[in-house]
Amino acid sequence: MIAVKDLTFSYGRDKQALHGLDFTVEDGEIFGFLGPNGSGKSTTQKILTGILKGHGGRVSLFGQDISAAHTRAFFQKIGVLFEFPYLYANLSVIDNLKYFSSFYPKAQIRGIEEVLTELEFKPDFLKKPVSSYSKGMRQRASMARALISNPRLLFLDEPTSGLDPSGAVLFRKIIEKERQKGTTVFLTTHNMLDADLLCDRVAFISNGKIMALDTPKNLKEQNSNHRVVIDYLYQGLREEKTLEAPELAAGLPFAHDEIISIHSQEPTLEDMFIKYTGRGLS
Amino acid sequence: MWRNIFKKDIRMLVSGRFFLMSLGFLVLYTLYVNFGYVKFMNARLYNVYLYDPDKTQTTVSASVQRVSSKETLDAILLDDTNGVGIDAGTGTPRLIFYETTENADRHRADYALSLLQPSGHYSAKIIGTNTPKQKARKEITCELLFFEIAAVGFLGIAAVLFKEKNMGVIRVHAILPLRKNLFILSKLAIFLLSDLVFAILLTALNVGMRDTASILPAVLFQTTLLSLIMALTGLICALLLKDFRQFTLAYLLIAVFVATPVFLSANTAIKPDWIRFHPFYHIYMGLKNAYFGTPMNSPGCCLGCLAAIAVLFAGVQCAFRREMRKEG
Repeated sequence: MIAVKDLTFSYGRDKQALHGLDFTVEDGEIFGFLGPNGSGKSTTQKILTGILKGHGGRVSLFGQDISAAHTRAFFQKIGVLFEFPYLYANLSVIDNLKYFSSFYPKAQIRGIEEVLTELEFKPDFLKKPVSSYSKGMRQRASMARALISNPRLLFLDEPTSGLDPSGAVLFRKIIEKERQKGTTVFLTTHNMLDADLLCDRVAFISNGKIMALDTPKNLKEQNSNHRVVIDYLYQGLREEKTLEAPELAAGLPFAHDEIISIHSQEPTLEDMFIKYTGRGLS
Repeated sequence: MWRNIFKKDIRMLVSGRFFLMSLGFLVLYTLYVNFGYVKFMNARLYNVYLYDPDKTQTTVSASVQRVSSKETLDAILLDDTNGVGIDAGTGTPRLIFYETTENADRHRADYALSLLQPSGHYSAKIIGTNTPKQKARKEITCELLFFEIAAVGFLGIAAVLFKEKNMGVIRVHAILPLRKNLFILSKLAIFLLSDLVFAILLTALNVGMRDTASILPAVLFQTTLLSLIMALTGLICALLLKDFRQFTLAYLLIAVFVATPVFLSANTAIKPDWIRFHPFYHIYMGLKNAYFGTPMNSPGCCLGCLAAIAVLFAGVQCAFRREMRKEG
């Protein structure tokens, strides 16, 4: 779906934002693009969506070189959720969706009510202007705009931003459902939980370079110390023991009355990010 | 596709009460022209009082009020300080003012003396077909139309775009399957249509239907040039400036540096040499010539306007692409 080879980009003479990125995104894959502010995530997404021109290297989308790809047909195949919910504040969600969907072929667009129902949009607000919506409602309306055209390639920038926990769970389910339909998802986020739960593969980007690219599971396993920490009670006393994973093969090698908890010492995705980039996700 | 953008822009303007505001200005201007300006221009200039005990002045106009004594003349001038007194007691008319400045009051003096010989040998040769009233109507209608397009329309288009810019929706249009120029062209079309309708109504209501029919094509042509230039300038300002506060400053500069010298040079004797380099002076004169049915601006001036429109359009496109690329 997306193939990027040695991608470079500069804002002016001395401001190189991307230093030769290489990655591919397969059809139907959820690909996470993780990095701190100013790392080059947005620049990459803007190049892929045709907003920024003048890059170096080779980029192809839908099997076509990017210079020829950004046609009307291309924009009919993509959906973009921006970091902020950009909508006409004086119009209702229905009028916004009617307007934005009017640029796509009729056969391609989904029913407005169907999309809003899937996003659990409050029916009372359907005809009220967007200016009266909460942050979460605006994010739902914005997601509806991205999904209404049934895109084959979906660019999502911080999709769960501004949502409460149940809203975030709902969005993850919807993204997963899109993948099952065959939609490719390019996910840009700071949220490590989203990336861990949703992405087939993630790329860590820092200072315009990809520092690591693999499945979240592999990244964590490769950097695990393969230890577990066990909390237990023995003769009325609470104790803690750290074991190497192979030691567990023959059962617990210590006396105990009751096991309270077992914690694997596998690193989190955030730990991995800091390890590879040397920076936090602020 | 363009219809959807056009409809959306119309809704934005309706919700911003732009059309209502234009209608309000149309009513206000029409009331001002018909019940204010024209009546004011018809008003008698100054009262003229004559003291002439020996009846030495034989051709005095009926507009002159005779007084019986010098004391009465002085008392009246103390009361009507704007009036002009003529003391012909010695046989030779002598002008009396309550107060005066040597240069500024020559007009009052000439007027008063002219009334002593109303059918004299100084009658001006009449050129053109406009009556003084019609001339006044055309002049003020032209000024109001220029002001409406240069100031009010310019403010309107910028206000709409500032709204869209603040809502971030310009960035959404970057990824929609549409020709990006439609976003700009739709706004230009609406503002141009709105200005043309405004020009037709303002001219018809204030100049009169009969004259309007003959001057309308030329007026609409000049309105089109001015409207496109101002709308594109408004779009550039709205795209480049950070917020409406900065825009208000730009608006003030345009109002002061564009409108003031142009109006002064076109309508009074104050005409600085550099005014011929002021592009809006030529645009205003083109509009004024259109109202008076004199030949249109030179081909060079028209080409200059078209070139300015092309350059401004290219500038708007650049600023629009820049806005689409912006971060959130």
